[in-house]
Parts: sequence; structure tokens; C-alpha cells
Amino acid sequence: MAIYGFSSPGWGDSWQPFDELRRELGALMDDWGARASRGARAGVFPPVNLYETEREYVLTAEVPGLRGEDLDVTLDGQRLTLRGERRIDAPAENVSVHRRERQAGVFHRTVALPENVDREKVEATYRHGVLVVRIPKPAAQQPRRIAIRASE
Amino acid sequence: MANQGEIEVREKEAVKQEGTRAGLSFRPDVDIVESAEEYLVCADLPGVDEGGVSVELHEDELSIDARLSVEPESAWRPLHREYRLGGYQRRFRLSDRIDAERISAEMRDGVLTLHLPKAARHRPRQIEVRSGGG
Repeated sequence: MAIYGFSSPGWGDSWQPFDELRRELGALMDDWGARASRGARAGVFPPVNLYETEREYVLTAEVPGLRGEDLDVTLDGQRLTLRGERRIDAPAENVSVHRRERQAGVFHRTVALPENVDREKVEATYRHGVLVVRIPKPAAQQPRRIAIRASE
Repeated sequence: MANQGEIEVREKEAVKQEGTRAGLSFRPDVDIVESAEEYLVCADLPGVDEGGVSVELHEDELSIDARLSVEPESAWRPLHREYRLGGYQRRFRLSDRIDAERISAEMRDGVLTLHLPKAARHRPRQIEVRSGGG
């Protein structure tokens, strides 16, 4: 399991050691020789994008083909964990396999959000193969409208 | 087929497209399996719904073109980006004639599943061999 911190500018520097370890393990565990390794790069699946608005952080990940029960999102303080399994039906017998590029398997990734957030208000949706997690920022961080009173 | 390995992260492959649609397109991962009766094509198109994908069969060439239905909202400011966003495009030449009337296509959870039944006369015919007697 690799942990990535989102606090830039050194974003990613802190995970280098974990990345090395995982690449070693990957070489030992990989028995999918026939799979085309198109531009394989270091990293833990799934790749995520992180956005922010005034009121919330939004994390997105492309994880097509999951059924509801095969995806798990948990939040603990500052750490958001995505966990799941992608299943692909094995081909029937007596078929020719012309392409086999899609990957099935398990994934487990924890990311560190820029700050502690309120886990009660986190919302995760899965639409058309995309996971979107909306994480409200702590109230103190949101811009507060200051009422202007008229002076006498 | 082993399903328990960890999924590997791979870079999306952009296609240079000459077309009328603006924006980036990527080459989606597909599985293609051929049986005696049909081709089964499955493509990962995350972020695409059934309205956003077009499947065309022209003679022996199958084209898949898709645009995103799930996109970042304009108010979202990017903090960190590990994957790129764009449509998908892929073309295949199929060796057998397809019965276009019976093609079925389904989009679910960002996966396109296409059944392309072969035209009857192209399906292998099992010829029964009887004994010559005696």
C-alpha cells in the first residue's frame, strides 16, 4: 500500500521509498507476461485527480467496470482510502483471443488530503465508471461572509 | 485466468486525430474475442455514457468514437493531476462479415460491450461425415 501526500510543492517526494519497494514487489508478483505493457509507469492504481473549490476538495478516479460492492471508499482524518476489485469474465472456451488489454485485479490506495476533513460530510458517487469524492473543507477554511452593519 | 493480481498503472495513449471534433482523444483498452458465432468487443471508456459513444461498421471496419459525459465542473480548480481527460477513439478491421442487423451494444459503468454476430454464410459449417458403408 502506498501513501501519497498531496501537500505541494514537494508533492510526491515523500512517497519515493514506497514506490521503490512496490516496483520490486511488482517484478516478483507479475505473472501476466502476455499483457501488453503499454507505457507502464510507477504508481498505485488508480491514478487520481484532485481539485478544489472554495468549499470542498474533489477527488476523481477512472475505475470502469466495477459493480457497487467491489468499490470501497473510506476516510480517516486526513487519509482517503480507495479499495476494490475489478473483475472481468474469463473468455469462453473455443474462442480466439485477438486482444486482451483490459486489466482485472485488486487495487488499494490511500491518499493524504491537504488537511483534516470532516468525514461525516464526505460524498462519493460512481457514475459511468468514474468515482467522484466530494470532501467539504473544514468550516474555518471556507470564506465567511462578513455582514456589514450600517453605522448610525 | 488470474484475477487477483494488482492492477498496473499505465499512461493513456493519445491518438492524433484528424477530425472535426476538438480536444484530445485516447486509445481505449479493449478485449476482442472471436467465437464461431460472433466477435465480442469490450472497451473501457470511463466517463462515457450510452449517449456519448458512437459505434460504426463500414464494410469490414469497426469504429468506436466516444466523448466524455462525466467531466470536471468549471468551478473545480486543479490541485493535482495524475491522468488526462479526453474522448476515446479506436478502429478495427474485422476479417469476417458481420450481420449488422443483429449487433448489440451496451454501455455500463464506463464499459462498452459489443456483440457482433457473424453473417450466417461466414460461420463455419459443421459438415457431418457419414460412413461410406460396408
